[in-house]
Amino acid sequence: MNTFSIRAFIPPVTRRLLPLRATRRYAVQSPGAPTIEIFSQQHKWMQKERAARDVETSRRVDYLRDEVASRLCERILDINRDFPQVLDLGANACNIARQLTLPSEDAPEAGPRGRRIGRITAAETSSSLLYRDADLPFNSQIPLTRDVIPTSEILPYEANTFDAVLSSLSLHWINDLPSVLAQANHILKPDAPFIGVMLGGDSLYELRTSLQLAELDRRGGVATHTSPLADVRDVGGLLQKAGFNLLTVDVDDIVVDYPDSFALMKDLQAMGESNAVVTREKGPIRRDVLLAAEGIYRELHGNEDGSLPATFRLIYMIGWKASPTQAKPLERGTGMFSIKDYLEKGRVGGGEGEGGENGGESK
Amino acid sequence: MPGRTRPIDKFATAVANCSKETSAYGKCILADYNNVTKDKCVTEFLKLKNCYLASAKKR
Repeated sequence: MNTFSIRAFIPPVTRRLLPLRATRRYAVQSPGAPTIEIFSQQHKWMQKERAARDVETSRRVDYLRDEVASRLCERILDINRDFPQVLDLGANACNIARQLTLPSEDAPEAGPRGRRIGRITAAETSSSLLYRDADLPFNSQIPLTRDVIPTSEILPYEANTFDAVLSSLSLHWINDLPSVLAQANHILKPDAPFIGVMLGGDSLYELRTSLQLAELDRRGGVATHTSPLADVRDVGGLLQKAGFNLLTVDVDDIVVDYPDSFALMKDLQAMGESNAVVTREKGPIRRDVLLAAEGIYRELHGNEDGSLPATFRLIYMIGWKASPTQAKPLERGTGMFSIKDYLEKGRVGGGEGEGGENGGESK
Repeated sequence: MPGRTRPIDKFATAVANCSKETSAYGKCILADYNNVTKDKCVTEFLKLKNCYLASAKKR
């Protein structure tokens, strides 16, 4: 048994490129089920660093993150309260903070969207990406703290610290989602919301299916080129398991048209969103497969004008940390009138029978 | 990166010259895409590849 560790002699940047199990030499007994490593965090970090080094290209492909962050900010506006301390978990290039300094599209005269937000803490593993826009004017318009965290799976914050935890387009690279959501719940103050959005379900199904068909025909087998993603049905269960109450989960599709499949792959790479599954095939995709996938993408999914659509399915989730003062569902059997009567009354009167209570948004 | 054409860009422009072959290959796969086996459309693919190679060599 080798007990000698060379970890201290490895320079910090190289140390991050090595898998954790190669450098960790102390005995750990992890409680509960062992974590399965699906995504390589080292590889993801490296991709983000590389992508952010090329500042111009990296800013050019921010269209998706900016749009999603903007939609997330609209959801924050729906909650009528102040947030003195906010955490942006997996901040990428602080897209949420920048969107908060812009006014809402619905009410441009009302001022920036972040006026009810005190201080936003942006946590991200890749420092190049996090500090990419540190010299842009929006930094002075909102109190912003940048935090480089060693791993996105462990949140180094005290319990009951934040009035809201936001997360935009980074949860889909987390291996142990139940644990991270539970930690997010832990660092929230009681009766504070977690508002997140992640890619899920059928995201990039066009690219996935074309690559699969191309590899089947060219090589007679299929390799992993796109990540496994959480489904909408799973997210509710995950939030509940993490201890959140009053859940709201909804889905939004953004379809982006690209001139060809190479433009899509180039943009994904520039976003730092390339494949980082541990069991991926090492090395680039073969040119034969790329050539074949282009033809299949064009014929199977292509638009009539010759562009190729790529679907990004976004799962928005809102969950509230439990608190004794929170509104709770009534106990079973305490209902005073039958909802059936109410609905039937509405139908006879010819009005629109609005039977359901919109529970989630009523905060 | 300025001053340098990435290989993927060269690849994309070369492939763009072969739209007829690309579409023929895609149609061949799509004709029965639930039962794809290795080298199902090998003749169409070789046509596409030859076109790509010729187009890549031109510049």
